[in-house]
Amino acid sequence: MGALDGLKVLELSEFISGPYCGKILADLGAELIKIEKPDGDAARRWGPFPGDIPHLEKSGLFLFLNTNKLGITLNIESESGREIFRQLIKGADILIESNQPKEMARLGIDYRSLKKLNPALIMTSITHFGNTGPYKNYKGSDLINYHMSSEAFGNPTEGVDDRDKYPPLRGPMHAADFMTGLTAAVCTMSAIIGRQRDKVGRHVDISAQEALASVTRQELAFCLCEGLYPTRQEGRKRVGGFLYKCQDGYVNIWIGPHWQKLVTMMGNPDWTEVELFKNPALRAEHQQDCNKLIELWTQEHTMADIDRLGIEYDVPLAPVRTVKEVVNDEQLAYRNFFVEIDHPVAGKLKYPGAPYKVSATPWEIKRHSPLLGEHNAEVYKRLGYSKKDIDGLKRAGII
Amino acid sequence: MRKVTEKTPDLPLAGLRVTDFGQMWAGPHLSQWLAVMGAEVIKVETYLRLDFMRMIGIPPGFARDNFNAGTAFASLNYGKKSITLNMNEPRAQELAKKLIKISDIVTENFGGAILERWGLSYEAMKKLKPGIIYYAGSGYGRSGPAKSRPSYAEIVEAYDGSTYLNGYPGGGPATVGVSPWTDATQAMHGAFAIMAALYHRDRTGEGQYIDGAMIESSSNFLGEMVMGYTMNGELGERRGNRDKYMAPHGCYRCLGNDEWVAIAVDGQHEWAAFVKAIGSPKWAEKAEFKNEKNRRKNQDELDRLIEEWTRQHHQYEVMELLQKAGVAAGASLNIKDLVSDPQLKARQFFIETEHPVLGVLTLPGLPWRPDGKQKGNYSYPPLLGEHNDYVFGELLGLNKEEIVKLKEEKVIY
Repeated sequence: MGALDGLKVLELSEFISGPYCGKILADLGAELIKIEKPDGDAARRWGPFPGDIPHLEKSGLFLFLNTNKLGITLNIESESGREIFRQLIKGADILIESNQPKEMARLGIDYRSLKKLNPALIMTSITHFGNTGPYKNYKGSDLINYHMSSEAFGNPTEGVDDRDKYPPLRGPMHAADFMTGLTAAVCTMSAIIGRQRDKVGRHVDISAQEALASVTRQELAFCLCEGLYPTRQEGRKRVGGFLYKCQDGYVNIWIGPHWQKLVTMMGNPDWTEVELFKNPALRAEHQQDCNKLIELWTQEHTMADIDRLGIEYDVPLAPVRTVKEVVNDEQLAYRNFFVEIDHPVAGKLKYPGAPYKVSATPWEIKRHSPLLGEHNAEVYKRLGYSKKDIDGLKRAGII
Repeated sequence: MRKVTEKTPDLPLAGLRVTDFGQMWAGPHLSQWLAVMGAEVIKVETYLRLDFMRMIGIPPGFARDNFNAGTAFASLNYGKKSITLNMNEPRAQELAKKLIKISDIVTENFGGAILERWGLSYEAMKKLKPGIIYYAGSGYGRSGPAKSRPSYAEIVEAYDGSTYLNGYPGGGPATVGVSPWTDATQAMHGAFAIMAALYHRDRTGEGQYIDGAMIESSSNFLGEMVMGYTMNGELGERRGNRDKYMAPHGCYRCLGNDEWVAIAVDGQHEWAAFVKAIGSPKWAEKAEFKNEKNRRKNQDELDRLIEEWTRQHHQYEVMELLQKAGVAAGASLNIKDLVSDPQLKARQFFIETEHPVLGVLTLPGLPWRPDGKQKGNYSYPPLLGEHNDYVFGELLGLNKEEIVKLKEEKVIY
């Protein structure tokens, strides 16, 4: 049994943030119907593709994000398409959507309209800037949102030597979109709990800009309370983990209260005895010098050596690993993290697995990501459409 | 500003109690979500080993060791209550057990199975309170060969592959952002899992043990990269501000000092709108920029030409002009610009609370709002041990003398 068994979710959203929110719910047992435009979710065209050959059913991003979902196609630009959508809404607990507010209003499927059809509906609207405020209809993206939230301004954390040459930097892959989707899932879940009590629906208004700005909370506190703000200049970082070059790559070492163990690990070099590095406050003041000296040691060792020594001396560190090492990792293998999923077109592939292990209602993959329109017959039959009706809708370009 | 209220009867998690052993970033951020959403979060601390965050970001004018003045702590712990317990003392362990008996959720993110050492394994807690939800957060998970390895956000970022992919195209790897990014991914996956477990418990009475490994939640954010490797053996590349398909797609210098704007142009239709909005310069007609493929190929030159234009304007000017034309653009905001951003202001993202030591305190809220006109529970971040009398007296029924004695004997400490 899944923790969210019995919850009925509709997903009118594409690419990453909405589908990741949906995946989190579906992977714990919610029944999710994903509504795609007749030409499919944009993630189907993103890739990566086996052998780099584009194919709507083989995009890695889409395959990963849509596990455990039923997939239907529906053209909500047509009135008959919207009529079907309204029927689906009547039987749903949750709608996840990520359209501009003005688009939802134009289509007559904004929260105010849908609430009349289903007063208990939880509608989660994921937009770049939120459903209110001067930017509510502005366009955004992973890049724009990362910059508009100040996340980019402090990236990379190590800083750069020439701020004019190196602009503020977006994070890796689609980090911003994923964080937005995760935020939406948390907020949706709280609405589900709230609704248990009062049986009343809710509109959950998610702003990607806020979801990302929230992560910079401690820097915001320093700025608001102390007037400090980070930029990209070298040497601004004084606490936490630092990158050091080694023989064959990089390692990140988190010194903090582990200084003495690190010193022992490096074989007690003489420089660690000098006044400059005697206590944490002094070290933070001379962090750059301290790091240069640590790097003299790391550069004489390989990533594997340092990793091994880190375990031996209990120093928090990790080599900078590529995805190859991640997929072949011993710890993740022990915990059965990666799951193999068979897909009728893309075949058997390894996917990232459970983000948490829950004892009584385990995270589980029950179905692969849907083929385009794979569950049209099943879902439309439930709404009372005959095979003949469905063929007619298909011919009319509605599904 | 959203004004703070302590009365929160209609919030979604109202009536639920959390015993929280969380510390540093990920643990407190998780329980902060539950607190703002209405749960009564009781943070268990001790004078013997302060939450490190209490000492970070102490504003000028306060003693360096004023553990009630840490602003990093404030940003991660509003909405909660604080008690002190010296858990090395068996009597403190007994009090913790009593508290768990009247709790719904227990959260912690210790570096190992510390709770077990205190007689608080999941099995033991289940006996104290059937249906308890126990969340254990860690870097690598509570099983496997790396279960005892110490970890922090930046370490996990190196371990999960994100450091390798973060950085400028052609440059070296770099640690992500200014904030502990993977701490946030773990905290929020955890908050979700706990609420899903609550939903299950409300229907069945059954509790759960949730083992939340930071590496496993953060690896989900890199699903695309994992798929690329399992399909093609690809290691991925550092794209920085650039995109696999779109061009232009970057961050451009503006008029002011260290002032930048991000622009993303999607497809031919937006390209035409973009060109028109910047005044239809001659260069835009060149064959090198005719379609997306050509623009991507000649992106260095394209970016240089675009920057000639953006340099003449302020970041918000560029943003407004392009947004009006239907092109995605956004000011690349510094943390101090965020505070005055019109959108965040209009949506009251920042909250204001009156703190007994720090005075009027402005902090970022959570990206969540309750239904209707209610406010989230943004009571000020608790002073160390501020709620000892309430919790040990009112909730656990100890009398004043007993509490005084336990304080003197450094059990409540």
